[in-house]
Formats: sequence, C-alpha cells, structure tokens
Amino acid sequence: MNFSFTPEEEKFREDVRAFLAEHNPNRVEDADDDIESGLARLPKLMAWNQALYDRRWVGFHWPREVGGGGGGVVEQMILKEECAKAHAPMLGLSYMGLAWVGPGVIKYGSEEQKRRFIPPILKGEEHWCTGYSEPGSGSDLASLQCKAERNGDDYLINGQKIWTSLAMWAQWMILLVRTDPRASKHAGMSCLLVPMDTPGIDVRPIKTMNGRTPFAEVFFDNVRVPVVNRLGEEGQGWDVTKTALANERSSIAEVTALQHNVEELKRLAVQCRLNGRPAIEETNVRQRLAKLDCTIEAMRLSGLRFLTKQLRGEPVGAETSVNKLLRAGVEVEIGRLGCDIQGSRGAIEGGRWQKHMLSWPATVIGGGTPNIQKNVIAERILGLPRDVSSG
Amino acid sequence: MDFGFTEEQVGLQDQVRRFVASECPLTRVRQIMEADRAYDAALWSKTAELGWQALTVPEAYGGLGLAWEDLIIVAEETGRGLLPSPLLATAAAARLLAALGDEKQKSRWLASIAAGQTVATIAALEDGDVLDERGITCRAEVRAGGEVALHGSKSLVAYGQAADLFLVVAREQDGVSVFAVESPASGLVVEPLSLVDATQRAADVVLDGVIVPESARLGPAGKAWPAVRSVLDAAAVALAAELVGAADASVAMATEYAKIRRQFGQPIGRFQGVKHRLAELHVAVESARSLVYYAAWAVDHAGDPSMHVSMAKAYASTAADEAGEECIQIHGAIGFTWECDAHLYYKRGRCCRNLMGSPEAHRERVLTSQGL
Repeated sequence: MNFSFTPEEEKFREDVRAFLAEHNPNRVEDADDDIESGLARLPKLMAWNQALYDRRWVGFHWPREVGGGGGGVVEQMILKEECAKAHAPMLGLSYMGLAWVGPGVIKYGSEEQKRRFIPPILKGEEHWCTGYSEPGSGSDLASLQCKAERNGDDYLINGQKIWTSLAMWAQWMILLVRTDPRASKHAGMSCLLVPMDTPGIDVRPIKTMNGRTPFAEVFFDNVRVPVVNRLGEEGQGWDVTKTALANERSSIAEVTALQHNVEELKRLAVQCRLNGRPAIEETNVRQRLAKLDCTIEAMRLSGLRFLTKQLRGEPVGAETSVNKLLRAGVEVEIGRLGCDIQGSRGAIEGGRWQKHMLSWPATVIGGGTPNIQKNVIAERILGLPRDVSSG
Repeated sequence: MDFGFTEEQVGLQDQVRRFVASECPLTRVRQIMEADRAYDAALWSKTAELGWQALTVPEAYGGLGLAWEDLIIVAEETGRGLLPSPLLATAAAARLLAALGDEKQKSRWLASIAAGQTVATIAALEDGDVLDERGITCRAEVRAGGEVALHGSKSLVAYGQAADLFLVVAREQDGVSVFAVESPASGLVVEPLSLVDATQRAADVVLDGVIVPESARLGPAGKAWPAVRSVLDAAAVALAAELVGAADASVAMATEYAKIRRQFGQPIGRFQGVKHRLAELHVAVESARSLVYYAAWAVDHAGDPSMHVSMAKAYASTAADEAGEECIQIHGAIGFTWECDAHLYYKRGRCCRNLMGSPEAHRERVLTSQGL
C-alpha cells in the first residue's frame, strides 16, 4: 500500500492551490451558504465559474469532445479536496446540470442535444432542476405516475412533482415521466428536457423546518414538450436517470466538509461551559467528538480504497452505500452535538448549529434514505432477499 | 496512491485463508480449546513451515523481512477462523527485540523465533488498565555484580503459559526498561487464566525477585518506553485486524443463517429488522477494515501513528463486539447453544473489546493525540 502521490499529481495540487489563491471568492463563512445568499453574490460566483471554465475544470472528468476536462480520478479527487479545504464554492454554478443532466446527455443525448445543453451548463449560464419525486413516489421512485402522452410532434404532460430543488430559479427541468402505463414500472418511463417557462407549469415553493425555501411542488397541466426534447429512447428514462448515480466519483470533498464541521465543534467545546467547566472536559462530549473523528476518517479511507479499485479498473458494486449510510449518521450527530455542547442555550435559534440541526434531512433523506441504503447494502452486498414487493 | 494489496499480498491472504479453513476449521478450534495445553504444537509447526513466524523478522536474522501490513493480512484471517496460536504475541515480541536489541540479543533470539522454535511474549500491562508509562510499576533493581532483580506483577500476558521468552517491561531508576527473561526461571510464577474466550490463552505473571544479567536489558537503561509504546501500538493493530476478521465471520454466519432459516413462510433475512441490522454491521466491519489497514501501514511509515492506531482498535473492538452479539440474536434460541458456533465469536468480541485498551480509552487517545 502506498499513500503518496506522483510528482505530476503533486504539481497539479500546487496548481490548484495557486488557482484558489487567485480566484476563490469565498471566505470561510460563505461555505455554508444557501441559495438566497448565493444569488446575492452572483457576480463573484459567475467570475469563479468563468475561471474554472477557462481551465476546463468545470465538468473536470467529462470527455474533452463535449468541452469537459477529460481529467483522471486522482486529479479530480485532488481538485475537490483542495477546493473543500479552501471552503471554495461548488465546482460550477449549474451544479444540478453538472450532476444530473450532463452525464445523461453525454451518454444518451443526440449530437444536437449535446451541442445545445452542455456548453451552457459548463459556463454556468443555464440552471437546472430535477423532476423526479412525486407525493406518491419517493423511495419507490419507479412507481411515479406523472404522464406524458404523445400528441403529434409533442408530449402532453400531466401530473405533479415534489421536492424539486431550485425549481423557482431554474430555466430547465430534467423530468422523469411515464410514457407507457402498460409496461412494467421500470420500463415505462422516459426522460424529457423541459423549459420551465412552458405554459401550464406551476411552481409552488415549500418551506422547510429551518425556515428556508429550497424546493417546490411543480404541477403540470397539459404542458406541451416537443418530442425532440426527449433524452434517450422512449422507455429508457430509468437508465438515463441511473447514469447520474453511476457517475458518482470521490466523496472526498464531503469528507473534508465534515472534518471542518468537527474542527468547529472542538473549538466550540473549548469555549462553552457545562457543569462549571469547559465542555471539552466532559467525558461524554469527548467520546462523541472522538467517535465523529473515527467515523469520518473511516469514510475518508474507505473512499481511498474505492478510488484504488477505480484506478485499477476493478469492478465496483454498491460500496458507495457504505459511506452514504455513515454520512447520514454523521450529519445528524454533528447538528445534535453542536447544540448539546451549548447545553440549555442550545435551545436558542439562529446559531450555526441550530441551523445545522434543522437542515440534516436534505442530505439524509434526499438521495436515498438510510433505510433504503440499508436495503441496498443488505441485498446487493450481502445477498439477502429483497423485500416482499407490492408489484 | 494505492490503497490495495499487491499480488503477493493477495496470494498470502489466499494461502492463509485456505490453511485456516482446511487445517483449523472450527471443529479443530474446539478440540484445541478443550485440550489442557498452552498451545497446539502441531499447528504451531505447520504455521512455521509456511513461514508465518518469520514474516516480520528481519532477513538478517532468518526472517522474511516483510512489513506489519503483511502480518495484518495473516491476522485478519486467523481472526476470521479464531485460530488459537501464540503467533501475534510472538510477532510483537520479535518487533520489540528488533527495535531495542543489540546484535548479540537479536542473533540469540530472532532466528529461533523465525524458525518457530521460540514462543515469545511481551509482559507490559499491569492491573488497572493504565495504558501510558505510569502504568509500569514493576521494579528492576540493579545489583552489584551485573545482576538485575525483577519484582512485580503483570496482567493478562498473551500466551504467558506458552512462552519460552518474556520481554518484561519494568521501571528502574532512570525510567522504563525491557528485560529478556527466559522461562522457566526462579521467581517467575506463571498463573494461567481461564478466559471466557477459550480460543486464546493468557496468564498473570508474578516476578518475585527474578534475577537476570544486565546483558538481558534491551536498549539503554530507562529509555525504552517510546519503543515499548510503539510496539504495543503495532500489537493493538494486529489484535484489531483479528477482530475485523472475527466480526466479518460473525456477519457472514448470521447472513447465511438469515438466508436459510424460514419463519412466517419466508427466509428471515427478508425482514427489514434482520437485514438492516446486518447492513449496519457490514458498514461497521468495512469501516473498521479501512482504519486497520491504514493503521498497519502507518505503524511502519507514519511519524506518529498513535491516533490511527487508536481509531482502528476502537472501531474494530466495537464492530466485533456488536457483530458477535447480533449473530446470536439472529440465530434465535439455537444461537444460545454450545453446539452453535455463534458463541465462539461472541466471546472473542466481548473479551478482546477491552484488551490492549478499551474503545473508550482509545477514543480518549484520539483526542489527546490532537492536543485536546
């Protein structure tokens, strides 16, 4: 085993640090930004995107033919890690487009679709939201009912989506719809690219327990979308959607962010007092902090083992579910511990840790709940039988 | 950057796994458990033939000169099979000899260890579980004529009842030193313990005026603690590796059972209450494995590996403890029986949890090693 980097990789790391020193618009406190404060700093963030774009560091691992960087796994990890250490903004303004749309368009899109949609994503000029979950289809996403019926050269869409992040600001939506109700649930879906200013789309924001409004319900009433906006073939919707998940790379940036939080908790524990002495002297606080250290370090190292498999070209399975499950527990615990260290004063709202404690469902429930992750691990890794299904 | 095994390491892992499965399945483990001997000589010979005792002994002294990460590969498999053997105790003692011994001392003992002819163990820990230097109260009294008298008690010395050679950690005027004590010796009283986990052996050792020559001291007088601490850390990682193997075996055993045991018309592994618990344990085992592998590398390569050693031991202990218990639970009443193998893993997890530092003590060290 070895944990050193090649001279080329170390040079790249230095390049990234120099880039950040020149272009990073964030101060430490900006890293926890929500959408609204991000929008207020939009000119700085657009300049950041431009600087990244000039280096082909937006879409770093995408093929160069579509405008990406064609970069390798280790370099991408280094880039994300250094950005996370510097509390930099995300690696591209159009981050939903980068995460959910680009991979699908690259794999399934027509040449025209690639030309039309990839460059504005890379330049941060066009913003996307994802139309996946429905009130009746969350963990069981494949049961979704939003219909798209063929009507001449268009589809007519009727139905409802929910938890659609950024719907209030996005220009486009990548929408998963049912085009064939008679097919099996996975085979009857298609993927459509929908302009958000199409008549018949109604966006209703939803407020969450932390007081913010990060997502919305989106209603479709006879919304007309051209067939040429379909991504992939009819019935390929599920495969297109899975491309984004298969494209998941190193979670090192997430680990760095978690480490930052725990370092903050340690500083907090030194300042706050419990039972007449600094919280950092309380056994329970110390054990909880150490457990977080251990778990986050395990996540980092498991990520490196996974990275090694990718580098070696070895087959990978559902290993990423291990870290996803751990992350859920860590996110919840960080918020709780941050308030617990404050003792009774932790009940007062508005502070950083109160916000954290009220925000964990976004990462813990969104993108696959812990119960779903446990099912994935149990079934795909341990080979245990699937749940009794209702069909 | 490569956090994986080389082809040779994969080969070693495969060899050890197959040996354990064919030469020492759990039926054999039970026989060895119930035999009234300190260790199984036939098994010890077989592992010596394969070179396991020689793995980390330097080549200059007849060993294979491999790294601690290679020993960890063996340890994970012997833990998976609960193989009863003084292998890890001897490997730790060899590491301390290599770290502190002079040419004469290393030549005298390391070749014999590598050949499987000497069983060795470190006698460091004392009653009360104080893991730092203050925990050493055993005294070494230098007398006229080049003799040293050792007085004190050591607790839970691994395979003490099997050892030909004890490396005794004792305090003399200037600080902590290590003395090589060959067994038997006058004044050396080895009291074999009966452990809950009968797949391993340990003894309390009383030193009642044991006389050794000054030439039995390893390294300069009173300055041995850093090396002792460092070797005990490596030993803790080896123990943690065994616990990862044992935890993995518990999860595998429970998973297999959950696939075949049927109740309410279906395999019990279909119920989320059962499969979710196994998923959580799998996550614990995988995480422990990552920490242990890295710590095994770190004890040979990092400046100060203590934080990672503690992370590995804490996590592996907890994983083996919980997996062992859950394995019984998933088996239902059958899991309670002597005949079912679940209790063997349960007992290994429960006993080793607090050996070489409890998870709580190690978590404490995770923080203190950061200056908190």
